[in-house]
This record gives sequence, C-alpha cells and structure tokens, in this order.
Amino acid sequence: MLRITDCHIYNTKWRIDLPDIALAPGELLVLTGPSGMGKSTFLHWLLGDIIRHATISGDISLNNIAVNGLNIEQRRIGLLMQDVYLFPHLNVVDNICFALPKALADSNGKVLNKPQRQAAALAMLNNIDLGYVAKHYPEQLSGGERSRVGLVRALANQPQALLMDEPFASLDPSTSVQVSQWAFTQLRASGVPAIMVSHAISNLPSQAQHLELADYYRRV
Amino acid sequence: MATTIRRLTLSVGWLVVGLVAGLPLFGIVMGLWPTGSLSWPDITRFLTYNGLATSIVASVFLSLAAPLLALYVAFMVYSQYRFSRRWQALENRLAPLLSLPHLAVALGLVYLFSPSGMLWSVLYGIFGYGAPAWLGLPRKSLLTMVLAVSIKEVPFFLLIFSALGRQLAIKNWLLQGRALGYSDAASWWLLVFPAILKQSRLALLAAMAYTVSVLDVSLLIGPNIPQLYAVVLYHWQTGFSESDQAQAWLGNVVLLVMLAVLVGAIYLHEGLVLMRIHFNAVMANPLRIASVGRLFTLWLTAFSLLTVAILTTFVLWSVGWSSQGAPSLAKLSFSLWQEEWFFIQGPLLNSLGIGIFSSVLGVALSVLALELQHQRQRYLPDYIWLMAILLPQLSMVYGWQIAHTTLAAGYHSSWVVLAHLPFTFAYSYLVLRGPFQSVNRHYEVVAASFGYSYWQRWFKIRFVLLGPALLSALAIAFSVSVAQYISTLMIGAGRVVTITTEAVAIASGNEQQIIAVYMLVQAALPFIVFLIASLLAQRMRGSYHVAYH
Repeated sequence: MLRITDCHIYNTKWRIDLPDIALAPGELLVLTGPSGMGKSTFLHWLLGDIIRHATISGDISLNNIAVNGLNIEQRRIGLLMQDVYLFPHLNVVDNICFALPKALADSNGKVLNKPQRQAAALAMLNNIDLGYVAKHYPEQLSGGERSRVGLVRALANQPQALLMDEPFASLDPSTSVQVSQWAFTQLRASGVPAIMVSHAISNLPSQAQHLELADYYRRV
Repeated sequence: MATTIRRLTLSVGWLVVGLVAGLPLFGIVMGLWPTGSLSWPDITRFLTYNGLATSIVASVFLSLAAPLLALYVAFMVYSQYRFSRRWQALENRLAPLLSLPHLAVALGLVYLFSPSGMLWSVLYGIFGYGAPAWLGLPRKSLLTMVLAVSIKEVPFFLLIFSALGRQLAIKNWLLQGRALGYSDAASWWLLVFPAILKQSRLALLAAMAYTVSVLDVSLLIGPNIPQLYAVVLYHWQTGFSESDQAQAWLGNVVLLVMLAVLVGAIYLHEGLVLMRIHFNAVMANPLRIASVGRLFTLWLTAFSLLTVAILTTFVLWSVGWSSQGAPSLAKLSFSLWQEEWFFIQGPLLNSLGIGIFSSVLGVALSVLALELQHQRQRYLPDYIWLMAILLPQLSMVYGWQIAHTTLAAGYHSSWVVLAHLPFTFAYSYLVLRGPFQSVNRHYEVVAASFGYSYWQRWFKIRFVLLGPALLSALAIAFSVSVAQYISTLMIGAGRVVTITTEAVAIASGNEQQIIAVYMLVQAALPFIVFLIASLLAQRMRGSYHVAYH
C-alpha cells in the first residue's frame, strides 16, 4: 500500500495542496496537469531524488512504513521514464540481472549463482514473449521493445511501488496503446501500486484513479 | 571555374593538414629506415647492454602504472565532483592546473618531499634538527617518477572525462541504479566506469606513449642505475659512432615494441576490468569498495594546495632559501633574479616566439582539419589526427632529426616551430573537436535563411561560438610548446635554447636556487597565457558553454 498524506507542492508564486492518496497493490494513479506544474518533480520527490523546481512537503509511507527519511536506494521505489535508460554496456538479460535482488534464492533457499540469475531473467522475458531479445544490446531494440524491457527490469527489482514519467510518450500512437495496455496488465498482475504522469488520459484502464493537478492549483 | 578553384583549395587544405598530422608517422618511418648495415655484433652488443632488461621492465612498469593510477584517481575525483556544487570550480581550474609543466611538478615534488625537501627541513628545523636521509621521497627513483607522472596526468584524464561525460546519460544511469537499490558509489563503478573506460583508450595510450618516451623528467628524477629506457635510448641517438647509431636503430624498434605491449596491456586491462564489473552487475554485487572514492572529495583543494606549495617552494629557493641551516627570512634576497635575468631573456624570448607561432599555427590547422571533415560530412578516426601524442616522441623526433640533417637544413627557430607543430596541432584538435562538432547547425541554417553566405555564416556564427574554445586550445597549445624538450633539443641542436631546454640543463647540475628560478619561469609562461585566455573567454558572451562541449 502506497500512502501519501498532507502533501503540498509550492513555490513563491503558486501552491498545490494535494488530497491524500492511497494506492492498494496493483492500483494505478494517473497524474495529469499542464507543463511546469511539478508533475515530474512530484515523482522525483516520491523517489527520494533531489528536487529543484519547487518545494514539496508531505508524508510518504509504503506498507505503513514511513520512507521520507530514506534515500533512493533504500526506498525500493522503481522509476520508468520516457527513455527507460537500459544500461548500454549490458545486454537485455544482464540488464534484468542487474535489477534482480542480490539475495534471490531458489526453492531450497540457496542464493542463485550467475547462470541461475541469467536463467531467471530469461524466464521473465520468455513470459512476455521477449526471449528473442535476451542477448540483444539496448541500441538493437525497437522503441516498444525497449519500453517493455524497461518495465520488466523495473519489476524484476521487486519494487514496493513504481513511478512512471510519461513512459510511452516516445512511442508511435499504435505502439503506445499496445505497450501501455500490456504494461497496465503486468502492473496489476504483479501487485505493485503505480503512479503515472501522463499528458493523455485516453486508453487508461477503467479502474485507474485520476488526479488533475490543475484542480488543486492556486496562486499565492 | 569556381568549382575548380574550390576543389583546388580543398585539396591544398587536405594536403597541408595531412602533412602536419602525418609528420609523426614520417618521423617513425625515418627513424626505422636502415641507414647502415646492421651486424650481428651490433645486435649482441645491444642485447648485452648493461641493465637493458631492467631498464625496459622499469619503463614499461612506469608507463603502465602511472597512467592507470591517474585514470582511476581521475575517475574517483570525477565521480565525487560531477554532480556536486564544486563541479563548476573544478572545470574552471582544470585548464590552469593542466598547464603546469610535468617538469615543474616533478621537481616540485622533489623540492617539497625529498629528504632535504622543504617539508621535512622546515618540520625538523623548527626543533633544531636536520631531517634524516631515509625520510621522504627519493630524489631519483622509479617511485618518484610514478608519483610525479600520475599526479600530473590526473587533470588530463579529468579533461577527457569532462568531455566524455557530456555525451553519456550519466545522471539518468545513476538515478536508475539508485532506484534499483544500488548506492551512488556502486552505480558509478557498475554503470558509468565501463563506458568511460572504453572511451578512454586513446587518452590512456597518449599518457602511456608520453610516459614511455619522456626524457626531461626521466633524466632529472628517474632512477640512475640503470636509467629509464628513454634516457638510455637518447644516449644512443646522440652518439657519434656507427655502433651507437646501430644501437639507436635497434633501440627505436624496441621502443615501438614496448608501445605495442602497452597497447596490448590497455586492451587486457580493459577486458579484465569489464569482466569483473560485468560479473558484479549480474550478481547485483553492491561493490562495497566503491566508497573509497569518497577519499577524493577534497582532490581539488589538495591539488591546488600542492600547486601553491610547489610554486611557493620555488619562490623561496629562488630568493635564497636553503635547506642547509635553520630557515631564516633575513637571508632572502632577489639578487639571484637580477643576476639570472641576463641569461633568462634569450631563452624566454625564444620560448615565447616559438610558443606563439606554433600554437597559433596548430590551432589554425586543427580548425582547418575539422572544417574540411565537416564539409565532407565525415570525420576521420581520432588516431589519425592525434598521432603526435599516441606515438613515442623519442622515435619520431629521431626520424625528424635524420631528415633534418640529411637536408642540411640549419638550426633556426622556424625548424623548431615546425617540430612543435604536430604536438600543438594534436592537442588543439583534442580540445576543439568536441566544441566544433557540437555547434548547433540550426543557427547556421537560420542565418542562411537570412541570406548569409557559407563563409559569412562560418565567421559570424561558428567562429564566434567557438571563441572561448579557441582561446582554451591556444593556451593549451602554447603550454605544450613551452614544455617541449626532446623536439627542441634535437631539432634545435642545442642552438635554439628555450626556457625548458635551459631548465633541464641547469637542473642536471646542482644549483638548486637557479633551478628554482627556471622552474618558476617555465611554470609562469603557460599560467599567464591561461589567465589571459580565461579573462578573454569570460568577456565572450554566451559562448563559454560551448567551450567545454
């Protein structure tokens, strides 16, 4: 469960007082609003990154544990951006291995070795019919493949929540619809609560929550 | 007709830049051209030369250890500074720190940290004792060489990383790494280092080629018995007898083999390191040792302090300080400067003249090389243009000297300018390539839509935007020319005396105070040029950013 309470985004000229947000496992919140209103900044604040363009206050908890005091690597919140930033020196399987938890163990509780980790990553790819790109390097992938591998990598990390900053905006319209529908299904199946920043609210799953930042915006 | 003239002009342009860029290769080939018959006794004499194996091993070790040490230190410094508020300060100070000549750093370390150096003599002097002989950095040793070269090469690698970093999505890789649960330090090593290492091959080779054939620093602080290979080879190259010439020829071949070994070592090192990092990435090993980088948070302060300490030490020695006896301000005077000024003027003017001509020509030709490639819309590989810094200087200059002697060309500053030109050209090219390629072509398209011709656009937009980068390139080229030793000595035949040749000659003696005077003048020349360049660059509105792209 991802909970955000008492959250305010502000600078010297304007202020946004957000309503409290609660996302159960597998739920999706879509955040929309005009450019410059702090949507991406809000995601980076949730992630634990340093933010520059506005000030944000509020409480964040994941499964009832406050994470405000934790740094990025301790929060276990995944991030998917427009460019998913697959690491160029690692092939697709190894990109996923990089994200798999270090302590990943087999059914006997034994920590996986290198070939076993690679097999686990390959299985994740095969599950979504992407096994054929396993040995490909990021520059050899199409936009749609890159987005899907990016999501698989993010989920391989077993995050407690996932943030998505216009993740499908760089794809052509038909691929974008296809990949986004696939991604929402994956998120629901993996039970990870997710927040997505988007410009378009068409083609969203019916059960997705929607928050328009402009509705809470006021000048000071 | 216009097309013919244009083609002719382009051909002449390609010919000129091709000649300058190809001079190093010409030197190597000339040096390897068999001049006399090589007999079996010559080969036996060469192979049984006393201490040859040790000399070669020491040189290869030095050429591997110092640049690799510098590369790792520079990467850790870069990781600590790149996304901190201190990055701007580091970028601003990088060029002046880079301008400090190798010789000044090398001798500065000796003046500061050797057993009779400033540090120990002051510390012990306070208590009325003399520093023990075992304490501190040896005056001449392999360790001193490794330290001096690696300390001096760190700013060079930082300059390269600074340019590389702008082409890589480092910030987002780090963010992804951290979002996946890795620390910042681990993300730097697991995600950024592989990309940086692969793209630093040429820089590593340049540093190794320099180190394996550096003569001035090796002569002054390198080990004595046996000497480093560059010193041994130089003695053969300047020998009179036919036997010495045969040794020199064989020595040249061995130097090139050493370079080939170093090239192999670069790939071997890269392969091993990347394999290790890949394993850690796949196993999600957080690489705890990565946090060692934090030690380098204060590198800029430390390096700046070292530079100031070196210069202060030279100043104090030049005004009469001595490690003999207790330190006393009363003994200090400027009389040495007054006496030496008479001797310094000639070399100083030569250094200035040669430096100005060779740097202006080097920068102009590197702009020409870039423009010719820009017009062809195809850039040739960097190693073609950077041969002067990728091949061992001793071998190429030896070849030039043979050609120079064959031509009976006489000893004049203009020949020395020509000998410096490949180096000033290569360094200018290294500095200018990034800014030149990253000038946004849309500016020129907009100007074209206003009716400006190609060359009007070139001078009014491209040239102006490149202003600060050109100034930077000029300053670096000038400092390269001032620090040239082998080429000045061998092509000038000792008749064209510069501050550097004079400094090395004096430093081979034992007059520490006079050495300090020459070291200061040698260090001051590029520093002043950098200061002028940075002041001028700051007056150029809006284009400073381009200088470092």
